[in-house]
Amino acid sequence: MILLFLILILLAGGALAWITGKWSDLLPRVISLVALSLDLILLIAIYNGQSAAGNNSWWIDYRVDWIPTFGISLHLAIDGLSMLLLALTMFIGLVSVLISWKEIHEKTGFFHFNILWILSGISGVFLSMDLFLFYFFWELMLVPMYFLISIWGHENRIYASYKFFIYTQASGLLMFLSIIALYFIHGRSTGIYTFDYIQLLGTTMAPTVAFILMSGFLAAFLVKLPVVPFHNWLPDAHTEAPTAGSVILAGLLLKTGAYGLIRFVLPLFPEASVTFAPAGMILGVIGILYGAKLAFAQTDLKRLVAYTSVSHMGFVILGVYAFNEIAMQGVVVQMIAHALSTGALFILVGQLYERIHTRDMDRMGGLWKQVPVMGATGIIFAMASLGLPGLGNFIAEFLILAGTFQASILMTCLACAGLVAATIYSLRIVQKVFLGKEKTTWNISDLSVREKIISASLVITLVYLGMLPQQVIDTAKPSVLKSLNSIEQTRSQNTGKPTGEASIWCDEINTDGASAKYLKCKLW
Amino acid sequence: MTAILALIVIFPLLGFLILSVFGGRLPRHIIPWIGAGSAGISALLTIILGISFLTSSSPGGVVVATLWQWINTGGLTASIALRLDALSLVFIFVITFIGFLIHVYSVEFMADDEGYSRFFSYMNLFVFSMLILVLADNLLLLYLGWEGVGLCSYLLIGFWYREPANGYAARKAFIITRIGDTAMIIGLFLLFLHLHTLNINELMQQATLNWEPGSSLATWAALLLLGGALGKSAQLPLQTWLPDAMAGPSPVSALIHAATMVTAGVYLIARTHVLFSLAPAVQATVAVIGALTLLLAGFSALTQHDLKRALAYSTVSQIGYMFLALGVGAWSAGIFHFMVHAFFKALLFLAAGVIIVVLNEEHDIFKMGGLRKKIPGVFWTFLIGAASLAALPLVTAGFYSKDQILWYAWSAGNGGPWLWLAGITGAFLTSLYTFRLVFIVFFGKTGTEPTKLPGRFMVIPMVILAAFSLVAGFIELPHSMGHLQLFSGFMSAVLPGVVMANETIPELLFQAVATVISLAGICLAYLIYLKRPALADAINHSRISRFFCDGWGFDRVYDTLFVKPIVWLAEIDKNDFTDIFNTAIASVVIIFNRALNLTQNGKLRWYVMGLALGIVFILSILMNL
Amino acid sequence: MVREDFICLTPLMIIAGAPVLMMLVVAVIRSYKVIYGLSLSGFILAFLSIFFLLPVIPHATGQLFIFDGFTILFFVIIILACLLITILSDGYLVYQESEKEEYFIILYTSALGALVLAAASNFVTLFLGLEMLSISLYVLIAYRRSRDNSIEAAVKYLILASGASGFLLFGMGLIYVDTGSLEFTKIVMALQSSGFSSPLLLTGFSMMVVGIGFKLALVPFHMWTPDVYHGAPVPVATFIATVSKGAVIAVLLRFFYAIEGFRNHNFILLITVVSILSMFIGNLLAIRQQNLKRILAYSSISNMGYLVITLLIGTKGGIDAAVFYIASYIITTIGAFGVITLLSDRDNEAEKLKSYTGLFWKRPWVAIVLTLTMLSLAGIPITSGFLAKFYVILEGLNAGLLVLVISLIINSVIGLYYYLRVVTILFSPPNDVKFPAISPAGRLVLFIVTLGILWLGIFPEWFFNLIARF
Repeated sequence: MILLFLILILLAGGALAWITGKWSDLLPRVISLVALSLDLILLIAIYNGQSAAGNNSWWIDYRVDWIPTFGISLHLAIDGLSMLLLALTMFIGLVSVLISWKEIHEKTGFFHFNILWILSGISGVFLSMDLFLFYFFWELMLVPMYFLISIWGHENRIYASYKFFIYTQASGLLMFLSIIALYFIHGRSTGIYTFDYIQLLGTTMAPTVAFILMSGFLAAFLVKLPVVPFHNWLPDAHTEAPTAGSVILAGLLLKTGAYGLIRFVLPLFPEASVTFAPAGMILGVIGILYGAKLAFAQTDLKRLVAYTSVSHMGFVILGVYAFNEIAMQGVVVQMIAHALSTGALFILVGQLYERIHTRDMDRMGGLWKQVPVMGATGIIFAMASLGLPGLGNFIAEFLILAGTFQASILMTCLACAGLVAATIYSLRIVQKVFLGKEKTTWNISDLSVREKIISASLVITLVYLGMLPQQVIDTAKPSVLKSLNSIEQTRSQNTGKPTGEASIWCDEINTDGASAKYLKCKLW
Repeated sequence: MTAILALIVIFPLLGFLILSVFGGRLPRHIIPWIGAGSAGISALLTIILGISFLTSSSPGGVVVATLWQWINTGGLTASIALRLDALSLVFIFVITFIGFLIHVYSVEFMADDEGYSRFFSYMNLFVFSMLILVLADNLLLLYLGWEGVGLCSYLLIGFWYREPANGYAARKAFIITRIGDTAMIIGLFLLFLHLHTLNINELMQQATLNWEPGSSLATWAALLLLGGALGKSAQLPLQTWLPDAMAGPSPVSALIHAATMVTAGVYLIARTHVLFSLAPAVQATVAVIGALTLLLAGFSALTQHDLKRALAYSTVSQIGYMFLALGVGAWSAGIFHFMVHAFFKALLFLAAGVIIVVLNEEHDIFKMGGLRKKIPGVFWTFLIGAASLAALPLVTAGFYSKDQILWYAWSAGNGGPWLWLAGITGAFLTSLYTFRLVFIVFFGKTGTEPTKLPGRFMVIPMVILAAFSLVAGFIELPHSMGHLQLFSGFMSAVLPGVVMANETIPELLFQAVATVISLAGICLAYLIYLKRPALADAINHSRISRFFCDGWGFDRVYDTLFVKPIVWLAEIDKNDFTDIFNTAIASVVIIFNRALNLTQNGKLRWYVMGLALGIVFILSILMNL
Repeated sequence: MVREDFICLTPLMIIAGAPVLMMLVVAVIRSYKVIYGLSLSGFILAFLSIFFLLPVIPHATGQLFIFDGFTILFFVIIILACLLITILSDGYLVYQESEKEEYFIILYTSALGALVLAAASNFVTLFLGLEMLSISLYVLIAYRRSRDNSIEAAVKYLILASGASGFLLFGMGLIYVDTGSLEFTKIVMALQSSGFSSPLLLTGFSMMVVGIGFKLALVPFHMWTPDVYHGAPVPVATFIATVSKGAVIAVLLRFFYAIEGFRNHNFILLITVVSILSMFIGNLLAIRQQNLKRILAYSSISNMGYLVITLLIGTKGGIDAAVFYIASYIITTIGAFGVITLLSDRDNEAEKLKSYTGLFWKRPWVAIVLTLTMLSLAGIPITSGFLAKFYVILEGLNAGLLVLVISLIINSVIGLYYYLRVVTILFSPPNDVKFPAISPAGRLVLFIVTLGILWLGIFPEWFFNLIARF
């Protein structure tokens, strides 16, 4: 029940924020902060309660029927991985509300409604243990995000919001198709028609079928992650969104893709995943290098940061398909570290934009003199982005690469080139914005107390993650092992013949319509 | 002792934190107290630690301070742990001691700079990172320090950020060293994959247990680590960043780009010497790279106009000597030269800093001259440093350290006549270019007039360093002269002795040759640069000289081979060609929309026709036509 | 006439009696209020009478009507839709200068036609219902003859629809020739013995497809749709989009499932092609459209394309999916047209997309309703449209209709674009267009529609159970 509350608090908070927005600009902000803090407190309570118990299965498992006709239930569960990502969600949520404090003056009520509803959708994604419910939340977060971009975004916002929505919707529908197909395959072989994740685990199916179904899931997750060449929505969406939107996009929305891979793709389709692994790793490497290359070429600061996300997320998919604990732990850390560091960079861009009303790096330069504190934080975040040891991203990338090295030396070496590339573009940010000669004489103020608090909290968490990552690693460990377990089993079976009945798609269970179905198969 | 060890590291960190958080609001006179003070305390603690280390019951012992578990997952473990042994003691001594002196020097040097607290916070961070680097008990922590010093180097080279050229130099330094670092981290992966640990001690044990000498894995591992070392220590082919790095303030050049950070590669190789011993081919490569670099850089140093650039090339060249020593298996000799070099090179840079300051930011040596009379203090200290660098026999420390290397280059197991020849040629070049500087800057006609004189905060550190540049050599005397082996004896707990192979020619003969060469270099410098300025001028304007001056054209080659293609690639695909597919889909949809719109023309007859066609269509399908 | 017959026919009789009563009243006094009250109460009464049917179903009334759960569901849907449209019409007719009263009479006759269709089990009733529906619509479309396009639309509809009806009738005749019966059950029996082989029979079916396809605005008989929607008064367009289509779908489903057309591979091919074409052409035509009514017209073409997928599923699940889909579609469409109706004023119908710019900031609640309907049409979660699509995809996949399902998905994506366009305009910075205030009754309609969309979208279980029960 407490898990449902996590989501409901956000939903209710959002509604409340919207309503109160009519009367005051302050109320929605306060309500959002309260709702998010409340959730964070709940999470801490859950975490502490769990630490005492310390078992390896789901910490809390909540399940009620929703649409029993189709075996759909409101099944929420939390484990270490969900815990970490939820905590991240609330943290990034708080940051997003805080950074919007001065940036958003118009329609604050509706703005915070959208923020909280996106966050509740994301929380739902991280908690759902029913595939239908998962998809439900997966889609639910799109609409408010779409509003966020299309209402509060920059010049080209409409185009970006369409692109974002259509891309994710299209890929999501493919996943939906796979979910339903999985539902039938499981139902036909066991007689239990259900969307429940735990029951669907271990569904046996022919390798080709599994691969096709997995592709559906991958479509959604790879687009969300995003993996080159499905990344086109990202630079536009990130660039055009308001700062809070970019932070949530980069910090959380992308993570749902990674989460999906770990939680759903690997355990549901272990064999197909093993087959796909080399391709996945290649995609990862391409993403790392191509994203970095594009980042380097940009003159729009925000777009640059957006492309760095593409590059960093390449590490995620690389690590996931390395199939070992080290790399997977690296992926978990990367999800958090990237959320913090890239979120921080977007915040920086937002802060700059508030002051000088441009994102064009060619018009910046020499800002250090005016805004030394901002410059210092900027350097720290740029360093995080290039993977400087001591900050969270390094732990992430090191673990991923160390793990990947065990799987493929070539891929690791290519990915390592990404480290150099990251250095190049990160330093370019610092140089173009803060150092060098001033192109224009701006008269701007340094970070305010509120902004300092935001930046400091991000710096501290990044350093914490970089120096004491063990807590995160320990928390995620059972989930990581769970996800890898199925892969291990598959590998140990040494890709022998699948034990299950090979159910070809057109195979008919209803004897009634057999002939008709046969015809259809022939036709299509 | 573990507590002291931890404190040595913590104080500079504390200094950095205080200065970076409150730096803007602290009163100006407090800043040096924090900045230099933290380094001073570290230096003091280091001396205390050093004394107790030397006097402890087991001098070859090891002190380990484990602070906390850093990472532990899937068999990969790493701790935040400091490990002190003889090798790291030498390094932390140099880092904190010289570091402290340079901090003191900076108190005056940077006094009028607007980034006063920023400077000290960076410097403190550097000292902290460097200490971590040399004290790390596992390679991952070492890598943390390794990258940390890289960052500080970047920040400090670009310290005067308004000048775009400084920013360029800073980025160049960071990126090129990062290339080496990337090789190094791959090396870490390789080591972990096969030896299942990153703890340096265990790694070395496992390596000897698991790997045959000359096995390909050992070779690869050593080669990859060497990559890191080459980048950091500015050796061929990654040497191009160091001369540009002189864009930073002079104390930075002294501390980071001469005394400490650039020798991190030397430290790394010495630290993982087991690995290099297991990979003789790589070790030989180290020697060859060292030899080539020292020659290459020697020629470049000879032709520089910029005082600091000349010293920078000299640094590259001297590190080449250290690599040569390591490569031939004279581990301790390499470290010895590192220590001595730290003293005299720091001194030279500090002196150069003073010269540049008093001449109002004049870098060009040909606009200097006759400074001997104007700033005698600087002249004498510079002269001592130069003498040490030129290995003036008997009285300077440089003589003892370099002589040792030259001797081993011939006689050690991995050595040989060719390596020796390179070394001795280099020695000649060294004394030539060093005294070229001395004669041009301090003798001859007066160039630019000095506008001010250095204060005591700048002079005292130079004097101390000058003293060390003279006497530091006496702790290790060659077999032929006194045979004192304090240093190598001290090192023997960590580093193996030299395997000798070729001792047929007496050592004394080599020393004699080296002495002659060194003196000949000085004489030649005297002849050309003081007596025959016309000749010097002709040399300066020769093409070959310009070629050397540009660092043998490496920059241009790299520019054409790497930088330009990458920039070109970035430019042509700035808008991401994959977006074409989206546009294409959108266009197709629009085209269809336009075409279909033609059918919706509102004309009834048209619609009726549509209906009729529809019937034909339906009939044809249903009737199987 | 047995008692059950009488009970079963009650709704029909009420709907048939009401216009007679109204005509009598109009003859005596021309009171708009009275007529409006009568028409409201007539539909409410008819709705209530359905509860009396529940105990007696399934029941066949002679050879003409069949009253089973399926009929009841459609009765409910149609009558409720008519009720909502009546309320919407009230707000719209305010701007009609004179002769407002007859509007409701004709609305009733067309509703009667729809009900007859939903209950038809015989070609006679089928044709009767269809014609009653169509002829009433000719009048309704032209009802505001002062508007520019009304007459044009009516004439277009008149000519094309009568042509289509002619084909339908011809097709029935051919089938009658071949099978010797007009009754569905008898035709089915005849088919079971002879199959679909006879060319006469196939020609007959083809002709019928033309008639039905025209009514549903399936490609290639879709061309009239945008013009007629555009020209017709908004409530009438609503009626065409919802009640008229729902009724035709009802009879189509009944007949097609009775003859088990989903087993015949010609039919499969035909439906597949028609369905895919409808989806694509409908959506592609809509993407750059600037007129909201026309957008909804094109949207209806593609939605009917999605809907006919259910014809091929061939199981109870297929019918259930179809019912859920049509219910969701009707409520959503009423919502969308309802907003247009309520925002129309004397001179202009609120049909231009541009005039909606920034509606959200001026009239948030109306904008939210419109947004929800658009999201529902696009199939985004928490709306009924999402579950409707889900249901169709689910059953479609279950039946192995992979091509159709994938085409549905592709089209959902294309469709998304123009639905989003509408939403984007609603949330853009506001313009200075003034819309009239909305009456309490209008608000009630919007409220009901919103509730319906959300209720079906979030808690659909009761409705699934309901469908499954009948």
